[in-house]
Amino acid sequence: MSFANIAALTIHDVKNKLASIAGVAESRGDQDTVQAIIEVADTLTRLLVFYRAEHDTLYLNINSHTPEDLISELTTNHYGRADISIASNTNEAPLMWMYDELLIRMILENALQNASRFAKNRILISAREIEAYLEITVQDDGPGFTLNQLVDNDYHARVTQEGTGLGLVLARHIAALHTNNQSQGRIELSNQNGAVFRLLLPA
Amino acid sequence: MNKPISYQDKHVLIVDDMADMRSSLRSQVGSLDISNVGVAANIRDALELLRHKRFDVILCDYYLGGSTDGQQFLEYLRTTKIINRATVFIMITAETGYESVITAAECLPDDYLLKPFTAETLRTRIQRLMEKKLRLQVIDQLHEKSAWFDIITACDEIIAERDRYLIDAMRIKGNALIMAGKNDEAMQFYEHVISMRAMPWARLGLAKAMDAKGNIEMAKHVLNNLISDSPQLLSAYDLLGKIHTDSGDTKAAIGILDRASNVAPNSLARQRSIAVLAEQTGDFKRVELALTTVLKKTKNSPLRDQSDYAKLGNAYLEMNDTSKAISTIEDAKSTFKGVENLHILSAIEAQALYKTGDIKLANEALERALEGSTDGITDETAFAIAKACLVNGRAETAADIVKHVLQNNPESEEIKKTVCIIYKNHGGDVAAKELIENSTQEVVALNNEAVLKAKSGAYGEAATMLTEAAFRLPNNIQIVANASLSLLADVLMNEMDSSKIRQAKLFAQSIAKANKDHPKLSEISRMIKKIQAKYQIETPL
Repeated sequence: MSFANIAALTIHDVKNKLASIAGVAESRGDQDTVQAIIEVADTLTRLLVFYRAEHDTLYLNINSHTPEDLISELTTNHYGRADISIASNTNEAPLMWMYDELLIRMILENALQNASRFAKNRILISAREIEAYLEITVQDDGPGFTLNQLVDNDYHARVTQEGTGLGLVLARHIAALHTNNQSQGRIELSNQNGAVFRLLLPA
Repeated sequence: MNKPISYQDKHVLIVDDMADMRSSLRSQVGSLDISNVGVAANIRDALELLRHKRFDVILCDYYLGGSTDGQQFLEYLRTTKIINRATVFIMITAETGYESVITAAECLPDDYLLKPFTAETLRTRIQRLMEKKLRLQVIDQLHEKSAWFDIITACDEIIAERDRYLIDAMRIKGNALIMAGKNDEAMQFYEHVISMRAMPWARLGLAKAMDAKGNIEMAKHVLNNLISDSPQLLSAYDLLGKIHTDSGDTKAAIGILDRASNVAPNSLARQRSIAVLAEQTGDFKRVELALTTVLKKTKNSPLRDQSDYAKLGNAYLEMNDTSKAISTIEDAKSTFKGVENLHILSAIEAQALYKTGDIKLANEALERALEGSTDGITDETAFAIAKACLVNGRAETAADIVKHVLQNNPESEEIKKTVCIIYKNHGGDVAAKELIENSTQEVVALNNEAVLKAKSGAYGEAATMLTEAAFRLPNNIQIVANASLSLLADVLMNEMDSSKIRQAKLFAQSIAKANKDHPKLSEISRMIKKIQAKYQIETPL
């Protein structure tokens, strides 16, 4: 058995254990612990997805979904920061769009987790249609991205105690796998009174 | 839009092999104010619960501990119609990789939940899926009746509204067009969808419509491209395999199914298809390989099937490995202890025991195979019993059984081929051809006799004769059609009898099911119109 196989089985096992610990925490009403466990599990999910992406076995399961549903599901969480507000704006969101919901959810969860680490008071997640793209933006009021992060596309930044930067690499990869008629998805980072993470998916 | 749906009257079934997951799922479901919750630790318990109650939502873990996984369970539930389209099936999994294997569209779960998740996540998902089921409820109900034209109309309404279920409606419409036999329209429709976005299901649908239309080469071309773009789309392999099988290229069909098995080694249906194809080509080693995999995965599971054991036993007999054949049957007998109907296993056992020289035991097994009613036995079982009869020197009984299968499937070349295989060591092609010929002649004679009776004015007698034959040979369309016509002629010439008309219409329906363009159908409806005119009946019959 290869290391990759053993790693996959181990991750699977650990996630099951995490799920059962989360179950206990939730039954006690301990939402903070539940949230912390989910974040750990998400890290493991990213690791698995990264492995698949590297071996070209990450296949998209693209279907039509309602962005508003996804965003309202994502904003039910606090991402470990009960002290900040997480608002959403889906007024200009299209009713349907084509994407792999599981992977896009993973990207956005990661973006929200990052934002919650740096936000002072609030995070805004919004969706709208712009020039045949679905644009989903995660904005915080923190210090913003560093210059290196803004300049270099493949920058494995935020390799800090806070995270590995894997999330951003994966986000770029998954966005780029969303293609249709010469158009391709992408991630754009900018600063505007805080960090702005934009995910663009082609129609 | 997000008007909350009441959960009070909803029934939820939880299937998970791990006790702590079951209890945490239970409390999550409980926190949604759902009190009707069934909990099962394995497939057997789940099936027991499903037998007694209808569930609105099934939450099932992908890993169920035993040899059978959640996907196999779902396929089983859908193919055996234990659950219908209205049931929400949510697959719970610890990894993202699982869903990348896309099986047949009708066997996809409604949603996936990645562990761990909160009660709130569970609530939003269930709510979303319930809303969708509610929107598609009418279409789901029409599916139960196979009312394809009505389904197309219902889908068109949703498509016109362009709401969030647009793509779902398109998907259902495409399939309904094919089912309704509107292949040209289906091809146009799929081309149109693909021009917007080349979604795999649309490309698959296009290939399906091309195949139905008879454009085999085009269908193959579309499928080969589709497989190279979406190697995880298993239904593309299945369709390509079917096209190869239909055109007689069994080897190519097995090759395609093998490739699909590499993508998803756990699919029982695919291994079973490989076994059937390999049996036809006489590749019994391959039959053994495929079925030992199936037996391993279904051992002691409710998904086990006698026919797998019988086919494997037969393969061993063909390879002259009598002891393995016997141990396979012994294995089956212990697995199916307490099951009443073991005809097919007894038939294989009778053949194996005869080979070991134990004639007495072989005869006893054969008696068990012949025991009881033969109503509703499958052609496969009938042939196995016939073979056992031949081996054990009961040629006449064998001929009767085979004749019945032949007369009930007059058009099937496959059945004729199988008859030749069965008689391989018992008179060969000559004996088989003679039997096939006799079977046909008997039916022709019966038909002729009925026609003569009708011509002489004995309409009632002709109708009785043909009706009796139609019940005996329900798949013989010629007989069933003539039975329908003779009943109507009897009514037309003698007197009004609504029970005869009802039976005639039932016969017509069963013909339409097999071939809705069958020429006899218009003859039948003309006859009904005549009856209507003669007896001056206002309401249509």
